[in-house]
Parts: sequence; structure tokens; C-alpha cells
Amino acid sequence: MTMNDPFEDRLRAAFAAAQPADDDAEDFVKKVQGRLARPDRRRALVLGGAGSTGSAVAGTQLEGFFSNPDLLPTDGIMGQVFTYTSPEMLAAGVLALMIAGFAVVVPKNLYAG
Amino acid sequence: MSRGASDEELIALVVAARDGAAFGELVRRHQGVVRGLMQRMCSNHALADDLAQEAFIKAFNKIGSFTGKGSFRAWLCRIAYNEFLMSARKRKATEKAMERFKHDVDDVEAPRDMGSVVDLDRGLKTLKEDERVCVTLCYAGGMSHAEAAEATGMPLGTVKSHVNRGREKLKAWFEAEEAMAS
Repeated sequence: MTMNDPFEDRLRAAFAAAQPADDDAEDFVKKVQGRLARPDRRRALVLGGAGSTGSAVAGTQLEGFFSNPDLLPTDGIMGQVFTYTSPEMLAAGVLALMIAGFAVVVPKNLYAG
Repeated sequence: MSRGASDEELIALVVAARDGAAFGELVRRHQGVVRGLMQRMCSNHALADDLAQEAFIKAFNKIGSFTGKGSFRAWLCRIAYNEFLMSARKRKATEKAMERFKHDVDDVEAPRDMGSVVDLDRGLKTLKEDERVCVTLCYAGGMSHAEAAEATGMPLGTVKSHVNRGREKLKAWFEAEEAMAS
């Protein structure tokens, strides 16, 4: 590769000449930048939509779940929490955690490409 | 502003702030080499440009892993080469692609000027797969032998032999073509 002979120069010139023309470089740059600006909207929409639907379905069941004393612990710290907090508050708390989870995960997925 | 900055300064901007304009300038500077490399490997200019785009997107996403050891261009070319290999595997056609590259002379797309570019692609097709890869990485990608060895996973001595042998074959091929033409 470091040999210094006329063919070496000719070969280098041939590879240089075979590089794409500069006149479409800007188009190429714009295409790449366009893809950086919106990494994968479809994926985010599908993930977000599925997550929101799941959360909504789970949310409708939560109040009933937290109203049923047979399903909840009665001892320890969790027992205290469930005793002194209304089912509505508990359901709202769980939903808030779910939403926070999506707020963290979806942007990460977007940047991961 | 970013036009006067060095590659290292632009990379720092991209790493720190995911600066799209700074990355655009890096793409502008290195697109010729990466696209040229892909075109010599793929023989299909549309596919080559798609793969080059993918390579730049990958580079953007993992630019934090660029340690500054070696040139940014070599790092990009390594990503581009891996992208080419992955694409060939996905199409279950690594062998077929290489076979096509060797024999399917008529399928070479006519680039903007006929003649030297087509001649180069035809000459490259006469090389063995490993020779062609090493010659292309070193001449189209501007990689050193050591960088090409790192990119391909081949021993340094093997890369040197492939480049020298490939170069000699190309020389013989060009001389034969010229003899036939005259």
C-alpha cells in the first residue's frame, strides 16, 4: 500500500474518481439528518399505544382489586398502607407509577434507535 | 460554525449534546469515503447509499464508544464494513453477493461516467473475496493495514498479503485490458 510506483498512483486515483460526486452530498447529508431527527416514530406510537391501552384496562380493574380485602395483605407496612389509604388513591398511585415508567422507557427506546 | 471545527471538536459536540448539525458536518466530510466504500463492495449504488445511511445512523447512536484511538474515518469505515456484512447475511447471500461481485459484470450499474469506475469495479471482481475486501478498505476507505486488520478480524500479515496480491492482480488486469484495447 505504501509502494511508490505509477500504478499505485493510478490505483489511488481510480478509487478517488470512483467516489460519489460532491453534488449529491448535501442530499445524502439531509437524508441522514432527517433520520436522526425522527428516529422511529412508528415504534414509539405502537409501544405507547399498546402501553396506554394496557394501562387503561389495568386501571379499570385496580379500584375493584384494592376494594377486595381478601386480596390485600393485612400485616406489616403494606397492611398499614392498604388499611389507611382509599382504593381510589391506591389505583391513582399505581397508574402514576405506570405513566412514569413509560415516560422513562419510551424516550430511551427512541434514542436507542 | 461547525464547518471550521476539527473532527474531534465535532465528535465532542455530538457526544455531549447529540448535536445534529455537528453530526451533519461529520457526514458531509466523510460521506464520500463511506459511500465509495459501499459502492465498491455492493456494486449497487442504491443499496450502497442505503447501507451508508445505516452506517452513519449507527455511528451517531454509538459515537460515545469512539475512543479516539485511530482516525474517525477508519472507525466509520469499520462500522460501514460491518453494516455491509450484516446486510449480506440478512439477505442470506454473503456467498451469492460475493459470487455476483465476481461474475456478474453486466449487472454493474452505470455510474455517472462510464470508463474508469466501471473498469475499477470489473477489475475488483477478478479478485478473491478477501483480497477485494482488503483492497477496498485500504484504497477506498483509506484505512491502514492495521485498521483493515482490526475491521475484518484478519491477522495483519494476512491483510498485507491480500492487499499486495490484490494490487498485483489489478495491475495485471488493467495491463491486459489496455493491451486488448490497443
